[in-house]
Amino acid sequence: MAKIDDGIHILQGLLVFGNVVIGMCGIALTAECIFFVSDPHGLYPLLEATENDDIYAAAWIGIFVGFALFALSILGIVGVIKSNRTLLLVYIILMLITYAFEMASCITAATQRDFLTPNLFLKQMLERYQKSETVNNNDKWMTEGVTKTWDKLMLQNQCCGVRGPSDWQEYMSAFRITHSDADFPWPRNCCVMDAQGSPVNLDGCKLGVPGYYNSNGCYDTISGPMNTHAWGVAWFGFAILCWTFCVLLGTMFYWSRIEY
Amino acid sequence: PHSHPRHPGTRTMLPLLLLLLGSAHGLEKLQYSPTLANSSLGGLTTTSTFVLEQPRCVFTNVEGDIVIWLVVAVPEAVDNFNNSVGPGTPGRAFQRFPAGAPAYMTLNATRIHYPCTKAPGDITVLRVGSETSCARDEARPTCNGPLPSPGPYRVKFLALEGSEPVAETSWSAPIALRTAQQPSTIPTTGSRHSAGMIALTTILSILFAILLAGLVAMLVFRGSDGWGSSGSTFSKPEAVAVGRYNTHHVYDQPAARL
Repeated sequence: MAKIDDGIHILQGLLVFGNVVIGMCGIALTAECIFFVSDPHGLYPLLEATENDDIYAAAWIGIFVGFALFALSILGIVGVIKSNRTLLLVYIILMLITYAFEMASCITAATQRDFLTPNLFLKQMLERYQKSETVNNNDKWMTEGVTKTWDKLMLQNQCCGVRGPSDWQEYMSAFRITHSDADFPWPRNCCVMDAQGSPVNLDGCKLGVPGYYNSNGCYDTISGPMNTHAWGVAWFGFAILCWTFCVLLGTMFYWSRIEY
Repeated sequence: PHSHPRHPGTRTMLPLLLLLLGSAHGLEKLQYSPTLANSSLGGLTTTSTFVLEQPRCVFTNVEGDIVIWLVVAVPEAVDNFNNSVGPGTPGRAFQRFPAGAPAYMTLNATRIHYPCTKAPGDITVLRVGSETSCARDEARPTCNGPLPSPGPYRVKFLALEGSEPVAETSWSAPIALRTAQQPSTIPTTGSRHSAGMIALTTILSILFAILLAGLVAMLVFRGSDGWGSSGSTFSKPEAVAVGRYNTHHVYDQPAARL
């Protein structure tokens, strides 16, 4: 008799501990997703222009799921300590709903990350950067977003194009229509700038002299934060879900052993 | 009006003709072929410009007050090229190249622009095609304008004294410029699903299915005694009221009412 009581107490203790961990992870997930949604690297306009910004939707879901996990973990702790069947049943059902949402968020983040390839950003940059004739308001908004983001990227990260300045030579672009190849083999922001924001040596930049123009591509500075974002949402969520799975199984077992 | 009219039938003109032929054969052919500049330059060839190495130390031994011109021609015009057609004439105007003029002359310089000494670290190049302001200005036939098509082109340097060609380099190899493709040819589909994403989706789906099965099992079996009790051998002592019927001490017992 003492052994069974101890067994139940151990299970209770484990469930309370499991719920505490879930609560803390929920807070962490909310904080992480708020950080991603705030877009510290300013890359959201590029995603918006791909017309497929599901990675941000996944982060938004993560914010609410994290908060729900925190609230439900408190409910779970109370239910386990009081051994109340009703509370625990409510807890289990709500947790399953939250589980489903978090699952959707993880899978979306992981799938969308595979969609964001260098070619996608290259095509978008060539078709939208400094595009002069926009068809409608939406097009204008997206074009302005892409242009400003690329200007800022190339200036701050000392890079040019997606793979390099040769992107502007290998392909026709909206930029090429308004800027002649002889004057602008690549955009001005690909030149090394001085403190006042003008090129150090414009002729050197146009010639492509190493040291006067940025010869490396910007893809790493785009994919780095996006990878962190996607994997942060997807894999941290996955870890939380694995832990939640164990706690839920334990809670179901505990529920079924509570006497009427 | 720099060409001398020739009348082969007139005898008095024959010595003059021989003199002219003599000076025409005075054209010095230099053993130098123009080349593209150092390939570390990112803009060595673009879609409308290219960068040549300067002809340093090539014309230093040519005598006279020479002006060195760059001749850019289509490859078909190389064989019958006439050195006497001067720069700035309609036959050599940039604005008419290549349909109306098979070659054009530009980038005039003198011997002092191409000295033999070169400071280390200096980049001695000529960018062909860099002047965009005069590309359509017919008043500037010697404009160094952007090339109209990807080429190929062949170039040489020609030194003129006044209007007389005195020295020339050999023709360069054909120089082809870059061609730009349309961005619609860039393939954006065909991004494959990574192994991580497939693993994540599979594992999460399986876990969720197990949880749902567990929930169903939990709800279905909640009524049965086997699961309902704590399953222990321990059972609480029950207070059972047992009526004792002692036939010998019938007085103490309340009579059982029927």
